[in-house]
Amino acid sequence: MSGKTQTLYEKYGGFPGVRQVVTDFYERALDSDIVGHFFEDVNMARLVDHQTKMIAGLLGGPVEISDARLATAHAHLNVDHYHFDEIAVLLNETLVDAGFDKQDRLAAIAAVEARRSVIVRRSRAA
Amino acid sequence: MNIEAISMRMLSNIGVGVALADPEDLTIGYRNPAFAAWFGVEDGTPLEEIFGSVTRAELVERLAVEDAIKLDVAVKRKRRLLTIETVIRHAESDGRRILLVECQNISRLRETEAMIDSYARIAEKKARELELEKNRVEKLLLNVMPRSVYEEYTAFGTVTPKLYEPVSVLMLDFVGFTQMAAAADPTVTVTELNDIFTAFDRIAEMHGCERIKTIGDAYLAVAGLPTPNPDHASAVAQCASKMIRYLERRNQSHPHQWQARIGIASGSVVGSVVGVQKYVYDVFGPAVNLASRLQSLSNPMEVTATSDFGEDSLEGLVPVDAGTIDIRGFGLTSIVKLQAHGAVDLAA
Repeated sequence: MSGKTQTLYEKYGGFPGVRQVVTDFYERALDSDIVGHFFEDVNMARLVDHQTKMIAGLLGGPVEISDARLATAHAHLNVDHYHFDEIAVLLNETLVDAGFDKQDRLAAIAAVEARRSVIVRRSRAA
Repeated sequence: MNIEAISMRMLSNIGVGVALADPEDLTIGYRNPAFAAWFGVEDGTPLEEIFGSVTRAELVERLAVEDAIKLDVAVKRKRRLLTIETVIRHAESDGRRILLVECQNISRLRETEAMIDSYARIAEKKARELELEKNRVEKLLLNVMPRSVYEEYTAFGTVTPKLYEPVSVLMLDFVGFTQMAAAADPTVTVTELNDIFTAFDRIAEMHGCERIKTIGDAYLAVAGLPTPNPDHASAVAQCASKMIRYLERRNQSHPHQWQARIGIASGSVVGSVVGVQKYVYDVFGPAVNLASRLQSLSNPMEVTATSDFGEDSLEGLVPVDAGTIDIRGFGLTSIVKLQAHGAVDLAA
């Protein structure tokens, strides 16, 4: 190592390790009754591309998605805190099944939380 | 349990969709549970109904000439759009012609392909960024060391000190720089110095000299390194003369006057990268020391050399004898002042 701390992406096997996480998360997101509708009728290749980048980015992989790009991509979706919480829950479940340590899961979820204000545009409607 | 019963049970439980169709009217007869779950057909459903984009006429036409037809069918299941790869082939059962329809869910395969495409784009982008970064680093390092030395450094992670002989060294220093730096606005002084050194770099390059370093207001260049050059002496002499002429011309139009002394000497030098974290390419050796001593013997705007420079073909330059001087570390040395043809003899 060149003195740099190891990222979760590296720790869990780079792309081969992350592949399973992406596939599993994709399934959970589509199955979810809370957020599944966001992904309905979205072009599969685009969705997979998005989720690959998202998971790789969250784990410190070779992707950096700017806040501006995230905001633009989610602007028309009208995401609220309830939706955002569900994504965090699904990601945590995915990482549990993928054998991530608790503190690594917390780090990944913290990375998601850091973007909450960028993605959530409104409070939950009554 | 007989073979037929086993086959039927297998067909009912496998994840592959299987159906049989009549080759004449293209209606579906038997279909296993997997097939039924994807397409929800009934007995007698026309085969073309499961393919959204293919007409009955097209199917008939293709089945007449092809042994098997392969088609991808999109099936929506809850929120997912599944990709079902379907193969229709001619078969025979108990002497009767039938169409065998086999279907496989290849959605996961397609998703994996999309993921690999996505990752490949990420990796390619990263590779392009790294290439750019590498070029930037290379450019920076090429500023502090010759290319051949840089190539040795990148290949082996280290540079072996190398003796270069014969080479000629040019040492230039400004007269009264310290007072000037103190008197004038330091940023102005540094800007001017940068301007002048940039011009010197161009002059050096033009004459095949390599700038090794600058130390404050001193400028050190070498000819014959890293590639040997039989005209190294002439190269530094021409370079020195051009630098003086450049300064003369510059002084005519600038408020700040820059006066330089130059010493040039031939001999050997050792070139090497010095340091580990903060490394710099440097040269050492008698030629460097001699050029430095000769420089201090120069009057402002004068070039001093050892007398052996007079033997070379110094096109446009005249060596004027300046006697013999005892130089520390070199003993009695006969020196010359180099002047441009037709210049007033300042050395007298």
